[in-house]
Amino acid sequence: MSEKKKLQIALYWGAACGGCDVAVLDTDAFILDVAALADIRLWPIAVDGKYADVEALADGELDAAFFNGAVRNSENEHIARLLRQKSKVLVAFGSCAHLGGIPGLANFVTRDDIFRTAYLDNPSIEPGNRTVPVPSTPVNGHVLEIPKFYQRVYALDAVVPVDYYLPGCPPAPNQVKAAILAIATGNLPPRGSVVGASDRAVCEDCKREKSEKKISRFYRPWEIIQDPTKCLLEQGIVCLGPATRSGCGVRCPDTGQGCRGCYGPLPGVVDQGAKVVSSLASVIDSRDPEEIERILDAIPDFTAIAYRFGLPASLLQRRIRA
Amino acid sequence: MQPCKIGVYVCQCGTNIAKVVDCEDVVAFAATLPHVVLSKTYKYMCSNPGQDMIVQDIQSHGLDRVVVAACSPRMHERTFRNALQVAGLNPYFFEMANIREHCSWVHEDHVAATEKAKALVRGAVFRVARHEALERKTVDMCPEVLVLGGGVSGLTAALDIAEAGYRVRLVERQGALGGNLARIDLTAPYLNAARDLLTERITRVTENERIDVLLHSRLVNLEGFIGNYRATVETRDADNPPRKTEFLVGNVIVATGYQEFDAGRITHYGYGKLPNVVTSFEFEQMLRQGRVQMDDGRLPRFVSIVHCVGSRSQEFHGYCSRVCCMTALKYAHEVRSAIPGCRVSDIYIDMHAFGKGHEDFYRRSSEVKTLFLMYRKGDRPVIRKAQPSDGCDMLIEVNEQLSGETIEIPSDLVVLMVGMEARSDAHEVARLVNISQDKEGWFIESHPKLDPVATTTDGIYIAGTCAAPKDIPDTVAQARASAARILAKVARGKIEVDAVYAEVDEARCSGCRICNDLCPYSAIEFDLEKKVSRVISAVCKACGACGSACPSGAIKARHFTDAQIFAQIEGVLR
Repeated sequence: MSEKKKLQIALYWGAACGGCDVAVLDTDAFILDVAALADIRLWPIAVDGKYADVEALADGELDAAFFNGAVRNSENEHIARLLRQKSKVLVAFGSCAHLGGIPGLANFVTRDDIFRTAYLDNPSIEPGNRTVPVPSTPVNGHVLEIPKFYQRVYALDAVVPVDYYLPGCPPAPNQVKAAILAIATGNLPPRGSVVGASDRAVCEDCKREKSEKKISRFYRPWEIIQDPTKCLLEQGIVCLGPATRSGCGVRCPDTGQGCRGCYGPLPGVVDQGAKVVSSLASVIDSRDPEEIERILDAIPDFTAIAYRFGLPASLLQRRIRA
Repeated sequence: MQPCKIGVYVCQCGTNIAKVVDCEDVVAFAATLPHVVLSKTYKYMCSNPGQDMIVQDIQSHGLDRVVVAACSPRMHERTFRNALQVAGLNPYFFEMANIREHCSWVHEDHVAATEKAKALVRGAVFRVARHEALERKTVDMCPEVLVLGGGVSGLTAALDIAEAGYRVRLVERQGALGGNLARIDLTAPYLNAARDLLTERITRVTENERIDVLLHSRLVNLEGFIGNYRATVETRDADNPPRKTEFLVGNVIVATGYQEFDAGRITHYGYGKLPNVVTSFEFEQMLRQGRVQMDDGRLPRFVSIVHCVGSRSQEFHGYCSRVCCMTALKYAHEVRSAIPGCRVSDIYIDMHAFGKGHEDFYRRSSEVKTLFLMYRKGDRPVIRKAQPSDGCDMLIEVNEQLSGETIEIPSDLVVLMVGMEARSDAHEVARLVNISQDKEGWFIESHPKLDPVATTTDGIYIAGTCAAPKDIPDTVAQARASAARILAKVARGKIEVDAVYAEVDEARCSGCRICNDLCPYSAIEFDLEKKVSRVISAVCKACGACGSACPSGAIKARHFTDAQIFAQIEGVLR
């Protein structure tokens, strides 16, 4: 195999936890095939590539760039634009790049709220040492610069056009593998597609038995002894399975945890959180407004549960198209 | 979205719209919107020349979408959809912008109202561009009819349908036909015997071979939709074990009637404690037996009749029961002819004599020396046992309104005019046939003025006192109206179902079953084999409950798709 024909790829983490990178490594021995198949030009967690090296590439020189994490600061945005420019295919990898993800929950509050909590009011901060980061600081006649922390968290496609979305927190290793192979073989679906996921909800693949739903009380998973054969939602455990794309392998419901919704909304659905709210509200077994409120109050932080992975890409944040 | 040619018509509605909204300005604005090839204003778009204008423009300008900015779609959507159809266009390529009820009628600021009208027009234009051609379906109509209730209403409806040549199943809970009317002696105001009215009906019903009378029976299940209902009726008589009968019907008439107010709920009338306080129904029983007497067999010298027992009160029923005033006058007549010299007092709030011949009957009753005493709503008379020295069994204390004095009325027999109320089992019937009840428990009609016997469920009609208190002529009129409505539909053999309904995309349904229990019309079924939910389009009324609840976007409300609604919102807000 000549050097030239090797696939040129880059992987990057924006506002992320690192789990997506671990998911790539979770492909086990396949990662060695990737190394044989491709030149990894940037992968901060595993490979010694510098931003300057990427900046030096010709436009479109990369075959594919996998961007995980949301866009939270100016560095994330800079690399997003850089990879877009240098890569033929840009993949939003994982929930954060796809929809904003867990970091996107920060959009319920402001940057000032976050700084106050993290740098000023936090009890673990030493008194007299309460410093809030600013983008540039003069030190000994020089100026130190750090990335600018944005007011809001963005999904990748709010910053640059995205070719494919590989959902999941993190994407299931078999889906990662399939996506890399698809790029290697050029066997690609139409641009803009969500890949490595089904067009049906998690319930399609969940083996639990489903019947008509009437919920009179919600439980946290530890509050009840579950029936392992029955739909979790029918047992009063909040499960986002009905509102979430399948493709994950039903990992959470299979272990008795309600689906957390990381694979995002079904095709055509503009706002996954709104769907969660309206579907759950529809199956509450009461007509008395006060009782309904009591039942729903048993769900802690309902908005954060409904929008756990998708707040920045939701109607709440003025996004109006699926 | 396909490229399209939209025509926008701004109606002036005489001056209804034009006096507040600058229609010319809206027309000029509409012309600037994407895909709009023509925009016009006219004095009355709904008039024949207005509709003709649309038809001609469709044909000569090749319009394929039409927006009319006028009144509420509830008023004229059908009118303009028909115009599109006449012009050869699918009627669903139409959208109305309501610039009358939602704009000119509720605003005074002309500039702001005109801007709002423009926004509504833009929303309609954006929406109509995303409309899809929809086809209406037809389904077969089973000509047989189920009638619930064997009172005068059910009997009359059954006869009209059977005599038109169709089979009727008449289901009655009791062991005999006749309903509440069978408990009545004479009817007001012409004093015909209820027995005569009923006997004629009952004889004809029992002799009619097209009518199956099921006594001691009740409906226990109803599935399906207009033209195609499968009913299960359970019969329980004393001699046989309960048995179930199943049959197909196309339509159902609910004529389950009323029950009387429980007079014991008003404690200070002493009903149940004072032996000579009786309800109007108990008094009817005395009249039918020809023995108006006190509990010890003596003839009463003083009879008092108390109106509005349970009716027109804040604690019980706020409404008027409509028949009691005339019935009370009838009692005065009957008491006088049964016991000459007996003194009758009529204690009322207002005398309601609105029916044909009623005012005349009231005048004649006033002339026969009945003592009329008016009490104030909320200030009920008090009935108590009299002392031996009073020379009567009871005394009724009334704060009489016309004289302004507190008067004690001697009474040997007190008749309480108990009002009508919804039957205590009405909610079961409502659930079975899928109709709604108002806050008093009466069944709700499709439209209180224009569609009084239809309900919001196609193929289910209501007649008589199950919908509200009414007298015999009104009850019979409703029974015959519902029979006529059904016969008109049966005559066409097939029925057209609206093209607007919810649809499950089976390729997208995960079988989560969130929607299964939501449909108020029971239009959703679950396919256990394919594990997908399905909407029976003929039953669906397009309320949208399932579509908004469907967490995976697999249910599409036709004509109310997300894309259409978002486009409209975008148009209004831009």
